[in-house]
Formats: sequence, C-alpha cells, structure tokens
Amino acid sequence: MSVYDQYETVIGLEIHVQLATQSKAFCGDDASFGGEPNTHISTISLGHPGTLPRLNKKQVAYAVRLGLALESEINLHSAFDRKNYFYADLPKGYQITQDRSPICIGGQLKIMVDDREKAVRIHHVHMEEDAGKSMHDSDDPYSYIDLNRAGVPLLEIVSEPDLRSAEEVDAYMSAMRQLVQYLGISDGNMQEGSMRCDCNVSVRPKGSDQLGERCEIKNLNSMRYARRAIAFEVKRQIDLIESGGRVSQQTLNFDPVTGETSPLRDKEDAHDYRYFPEPDLPPIILDESYVQKIREDQPALPWELYARLQEEFDLSDYDATLLTAELSTAQYFLQLNAASPHPKAAANLIINKLLPYCQEENIELTEFPVGIAGLGKFIQLIEDGQVSNTIAYQTLLPELIEQPGTEPLELAKKMQLIQNKDEDFLTQLVEEVIAANPEKVKIYRGGKKGLLGFFMGEVMKRSKGQAEPKATNALLREKLEA
Amino acid sequence: MPKYSSLQQVQQALHSGAESCEGLVSYYLQQIEQHADLNIYVEVYAEEAKEQARKLDQRFRENPQAPGRLHGMVLSLKDVLCYEGHGVTAGSRILEGFESQFSATAVARLLEEDAIVIGRVNCDEFAMGSTTETSVYGPSRNADNPDYVPGGSSGGSAVAVQADTCLASLGTDTGGSVRQPAAFCGIIGVKPTYGRISRYGLLAYGSSFDQVGVLVNSVEDAALLLEIMAGPDEFDSTSSQTPVPPYSEQLDFAGKARIAYFPTALEHPSLDPEVRAASQQLIEQLRNEGHTIEAVDFDYLDYIIPAYYVLTTAEASSNLSRYDGIRYGYRSGDAHSLMDTYKKSRTEGFGTEVKRRIMLGTFVLSAGYYDAYYTKAQQVRRLIQEKTLSILEEYDFILIPAAPGTAWKLGDTVDDPVAMYLADIFTVQANMVGIPAVAFPLATHSNGLPIGLQLMAGKFEEARLLAFLHDVVESVTYSRQ
Repeated sequence: MSVYDQYETVIGLEIHVQLATQSKAFCGDDASFGGEPNTHISTISLGHPGTLPRLNKKQVAYAVRLGLALESEINLHSAFDRKNYFYADLPKGYQITQDRSPICIGGQLKIMVDDREKAVRIHHVHMEEDAGKSMHDSDDPYSYIDLNRAGVPLLEIVSEPDLRSAEEVDAYMSAMRQLVQYLGISDGNMQEGSMRCDCNVSVRPKGSDQLGERCEIKNLNSMRYARRAIAFEVKRQIDLIESGGRVSQQTLNFDPVTGETSPLRDKEDAHDYRYFPEPDLPPIILDESYVQKIREDQPALPWELYARLQEEFDLSDYDATLLTAELSTAQYFLQLNAASPHPKAAANLIINKLLPYCQEENIELTEFPVGIAGLGKFIQLIEDGQVSNTIAYQTLLPELIEQPGTEPLELAKKMQLIQNKDEDFLTQLVEEVIAANPEKVKIYRGGKKGLLGFFMGEVMKRSKGQAEPKATNALLREKLEA
Repeated sequence: MPKYSSLQQVQQALHSGAESCEGLVSYYLQQIEQHADLNIYVEVYAEEAKEQARKLDQRFRENPQAPGRLHGMVLSLKDVLCYEGHGVTAGSRILEGFESQFSATAVARLLEEDAIVIGRVNCDEFAMGSTTETSVYGPSRNADNPDYVPGGSSGGSAVAVQADTCLASLGTDTGGSVRQPAAFCGIIGVKPTYGRISRYGLLAYGSSFDQVGVLVNSVEDAALLLEIMAGPDEFDSTSSQTPVPPYSEQLDFAGKARIAYFPTALEHPSLDPEVRAASQQLIEQLRNEGHTIEAVDFDYLDYIIPAYYVLTTAEASSNLSRYDGIRYGYRSGDAHSLMDTYKKSRTEGFGTEVKRRIMLGTFVLSAGYYDAYYTKAQQVRRLIQEKTLSILEEYDFILIPAAPGTAWKLGDTVDDPVAMYLADIFTVQANMVGIPAVAFPLATHSNGLPIGLQLMAGKFEEARLLAFLHDVVESVTYSRQ
C-alpha cells in the first residue's frame, strides 16, 4: 500500500460566478464581457470622488434563484460590507461584498461520482463585485489595467470541505456550471472568467476526523488546472508530512506552465481586510412573497430535466445525461421533440450527428444548417418508414446540410431514397437475389439462419436502398423457407 | 450688516428694478476681493457667474416669470461638493487639479432653479477639523476678528456669508461642520435629517453621518434651499423616500413648543460661563413666552465624542482609500512601483489631520480590535439614538449650545487635536442620531465674538424646527458687531 493511499484529501471550494446581468452590480455600466479596455466604465465604476453605489436588483434575484436551487435558507435580512485592500484594479480601495450576513445560508448540491450520488454541502452564497483586470508582461515595465470588469456582479459560492478528490472537484464544478447556466444567471464560461474558483486543500490520515492545516490555491480558471493543481498540492502536502514537516497555512498560486503551486503569502502576511458594514447601502430586506415569486418563476433545474427525459420520454441514463449536460442541448431536444414527437429518434439524431457536427464546425446547436422544422420532418420520414434509417443518416442528411432550405421529403424523392413496399417490386428483387446465390440458399436452408442478413443486404444493394426493410425481410423468409 | 439678508429682499430689488443679477454678482465679487485676506475662496468663478447673471437678467426682462425660484440666489460651495466641469479638492493636495465630471444632486437641483454659483470655498481637509486650519490652502479667518478661526470644517462657507461675499453657502456636516462655524460666525446653519438631501456628489468623510447643510442669514432662505435640495435620489441609496413638505410655506409656528434641555450640557465643565448664561437666558425667555421647557437627564454626553471618532474615522479610512495616486489627483513624482505610488502619493498628498484619522480608523477596524472599538462604538451609537429619540417623542426640540465657547484663536488647537475633538461635544449628537439640527446666533460674547445656540428635532421634523427658529430668531434680538 503506497504511502499516498494512507491519506485522505479534503477540499472545500469557493466558486466565483459572474452574473449575466446587463449592468454592473452598483451602477448602470455595461457588464458584458470584452469590449475595448476601459470602455465599460463611468465615474461610479472609476470610484470618482462623490460617487455612491446603487444596487442592481437583478443580482439579488439571481442570488435568490441560485439559493433556492441549492436548497439554501434565503436570508431575508442580508447586508453589504466593505473589504478593504489596495490594488491598482480596485478603484475604490475596497470591494463591496457580504461578510457578516450573506444572502443564502447553507444548502447542498448533488453530484455524481463513479455512478454514486453525493451531496456536497454549501456553507453560504454571498454577493459581491468583481475587480478590474491587471495585465502584466515581464518584458514591459508597465502594468495595464482594464476596469471593464470592475463592478461586475459576482456570487461567491462557498462549499463545506466535503470534496475528497480532484474527480469530485471536477464533478462539483461541472454540476455548478450546469446549474448556473440552467438558472440563466451566468454563462458559466471559464475561458472568459465567468466562473473561477479558489481551492482549499488539506490532507489527513485516513480515518481521522480532524481537519489538516489547509492551503488555499487561488484563481483556478479551468477545471483542468484545478485537477492538476490539486494533484500537485496533495502530493506536496503528503511528502511534507511524511518527511517530518508540517503544512503551514498559506495562500498559493498555481502555475499552469510548471504544473506547480507556489506560496503567494503566508498566514502571517495575510491581509487584514478590515471588513465593516457598507454605510452607502442599506440592508437588503426581502419578504416571503418576493422569494415565493422567484420560486414560482424558477426555470427547470438540470436534475429535474434529467428525470423528465427518463420518465416522460423513456430515454436511457446515457441519453438523458448527454442531453441535459448543457441547457441549450436540452432545450434543443425539447424543441425538436415538439416538432416531431419521437424522443428516441431525436435523442439519437442530436447525440450521434448534430453534436459531433457542431463541435467539428465550432458552432452552436441552434446554428446547425438544417433548422428544427426541417430536422423534425427528417425524423418523421424515418419514423414513417419512408426512408431507411441508414440511408437517411448516410445519404439524405449530408445532402440536406448542403441544401438546408429544401424539404426533406422532396429531396428524398429527388434522390430516389423513398423506400418501396410494392410487393411486385420486392418479389422481383428477392427472386433475383435467391437465383444469384444458390450456394448460400442451400446453406441457409441447411439451418444457418444467420445468413438472412446477407440476403437483406443484397436486396438493399439491388434496390439502391429503396426496399422497405420490414416487408423485404418478411418476403425473404417466406421465399427462402418455401 | 449684509446688503441683502434674504433672497426675498433680493427678489424685491430685482422686481422693482433697483437691482440686477449682474449687479448682484458684481457686488459679491467686490466683496470677495475686499475680503481676500480672510482666505475664504479656493476658486472664484467670476466670469462664469457674470455670464450667467447676464443671461438671467435677459430672461427676466423678456418674461419676469421665466427665472426659477432661486432667481437672485448667489451661492458658494464648500470644496467637497461636486460641480460639473469645476475643480473639487476637499482642501487637499491629494486632489490637486481634479475636476468633477458631474454635479452633486444638491447642487444640480439648485442650479435648475437658477442659483448662481460664485465660487468654491475653503474647508478643513476632507472636512476633518473644526477650524478650517487643516486645509492645504491655509486657514480662513473669522470676519468678526481675523485673528480668530471661523470654525470648521465648513469655515469658508460660514465666513463667505458672514463677510457678505454671497447670499448663502452650501456646507456639509458630519459632526457639526455646518452648525459650529455658523455659531462662530454669527449666522444660521442647518443640518437636515440624515438622508434628507442626497449625498451624491459629496466627497465622503463619514458616510453614515455626512449630510449637506446650508449656511445663511435667514431662516426663509434655509427653508427654501432645503426644500429644493431635499428628496429622494436614485443615485444615493441612503436618501429618504419621505415626502418633502414645502418648508418655505410653513414658517409660522402655531401653538407652544415642548423643549428639553440637558443640565449635563449646561453644567458641563468645558462650557464657557457666558455661553451658559446666554443659554439660561434663552430658556427663561422661552418659558416666559409660554413654551414648556424642562430639564431632562442625558447621561451619555461624555460617550458621544469617543464613539463618534471611532465610527467616523473607521468610515473615513475606507472612504479615503480611493485617493491612491492611480487614476486622478496627486501622484508622487518619485514613485517607481505600485506600492511606492500608494505610499508616497498618500504621504505627500494628505495632511497631518487626515493621516491621523486614517490611522485611527484603520486601527479600530483591525482584526483583534474591531469588537473592542468599532462594535462597542456602534452599541454606544445605538444607545444614544434610542435615548435621544425617546426624548424627542416627549419633546418637540432639544436646546443645547452649539459649541462650548466662541471661536478659537488661530493656531490654538493645532497641537492638541483631542481638545479640538472634544469641542464637538454638543453638535455630534444630531449626527449620531441622524436628526435635524440648527445653529443660530444668540448673543455676543464679551470677547466680541458671536455665541450660537442649537436646536435639535425629531427625524424629518425640519418644517417644525425651521418654523420655531423663525419665531425664536424674530423674538430674540441679536445684533452683529
């Protein structure tokens, strides 16, 4: 048994989610990602003398929406605090956040790890504003500050130390990302920094109920980094303990190039943020009817949709998981199913054709060349037995993509892909095939029924795929067994 | 005596044709020039004011009804109030060269009614001080005796009115900064209820205490200016939604008032005997006029100042963090890194008193000290609020001196900041509680300087307070030297 197996990893996460509000948390500036540097700004987000914050009510609604989904207690009397520190991308010299009374308290998020469900407890969710962005280049003596992001609303979701591995972290972050997308409160885009996380990592001997000294790894902006950083950090801590050392509480930085963590500051150098109540914003007093209204307007949650796909549409766990991974996929499925109510066929089409195609072309599902209506008709052609499944996928669909405006039925006719059930037509084909393969016929009749597939294939070939399979099959059996 | 002691007089002169806005502005500009030695103005907007006056005169000639309600109101602004396109520096080097891109809500509302802003006036640096001596522009002087301070922090505003360089001045009051200089300069100073006037565009000192106030010669002007400035503002979340009554139309005080006074204040060891005598005389006078005036226990007087300085400096230490030399204002020319920029710009940009308060505020918010200081002070504030408001449930007003004595001599308090802090003892209560208060001139001290008294009222009781003051001022005689 390796020494590493004698330890248990304990991880708690602080996930920062940028809210998809139109304007910033405390002023009317555009809160969208990107834009020329320092164009989404005003005297308020620049912290000019005399300016004051005013609360964007949308962020409160979004926070409550998340809290309800996480089964948190919604704090009807929450308040803002100031977190004081100096940095070039923090215009006021303090961040408006919630320290003492956050908007959501407690809660949980269920994740799937190795086919087992696990509930990760949430400590709290609080609202705060983002800082601007600093850009440093080692070849340039200057740093560059972009304040477009300064004041964009964030939710910080603090978990209990319930995670035990990088895999669980991955599952938790994916589930959270999926949830915020479903709730429509964030795009959850990690590349653009809409979702970032700080990881608190510690190790302890297996079986111990005491928490080890923890280190906080800052600003992990991709799940891959989080995985690598945790793996490195866990090994570092175990090696340290095994060699007789002690883990000291530190804030760490992760370098994606080396894959290593390194100390940013020790506990002794930790900032004293001097939190105190924000005097410029009155406490946020909510009432039950406000919460109730949000509860009633709550969109479908990923696990609800997953259950619905399984129960209402009889889809497999595999199909339901894939289709609900992204809200846009799930919505697309529901639309397609509405256009042509054949859920299994729609699921197959999306999973096997549309998703790979869109990934290849780097487009959204909704940008697939053939629209929902066309695809609905396409499915209907298969379901009605007008075009065979194989032909539809292999021949008709590629042509439809080339001619997205055409009616699937017209195109299938033009391409002579419509299946033929006509008895005379099929009889002639079947008889031709039997006549052409006397040896195989003998073997079949000798008991090797598996050869039926061969004969089917031959008929299909001769019919150029137009032979309707069910009727052909029946006819073949009849003639072969006669 | 001022040439005009109320807007009403000015407007009568304008309507009779005896005066024009241009003439008014010229008169005040002359006064400013004549009193240059008092160091009142940081910047005079001479050309702009004249130009605006000419336009107003033109509009008035075309249609006497066209100008707004403040036609003929020539104002000055304390150097902590934003006025679009104009400098604002809070009397500090740290804001050297800074121009505001917007107007404070209070200022904008006055401009909409055709007030003319003649300039911005001196104050203590970031409104921290009680003498106007901490300004980077040097001290302003009391017009009654230039060897004496005008009080502070709105000292420039008080002398501006006292020396008749404008009809009214906007100040700000965090712990008495409008009322104490008004008392020291023998004029009227009004601090409204917290949240009554938007703080948007007011350079913050103690955000939960700060309030815009007026320094004027007449209660009528105070009422009209407040009425125009007050009311909800979407840019200040702490501004009140309570409707604003037309103060200027409600200046008749009907019936008799119930007034409380604190023996602990009148017997306070720091109180000048002549101020005490003046207060007692007024108490007698009011009693004789049939008002109920009673002694009420108030045991918290000595806790007010310590709690106030803990809370305001805590807020100030955070409010002043934005002045970091990065985006605007003063930046040290000798800074070669980010940390250097902060340290040197702030060291060179802030004066001693401001640094003292930033340090104090940083300390009381520090881990390990927060509960002992900040939390404790919050508790004291709550106690004082509850006690004061319960008194104001039984009484209409509380009568109390505006300051323990008259104006100090220049330089007297510079080396003893605590003595200066303690002198705020009578004015801070209104800010701690968030209630309206007025300071008004009552008598002249044997040293020749004015003695001011103060009245506080319940939250949003400005109308009654001003109406009562209107009667009190009319019934008590005060003649300026």
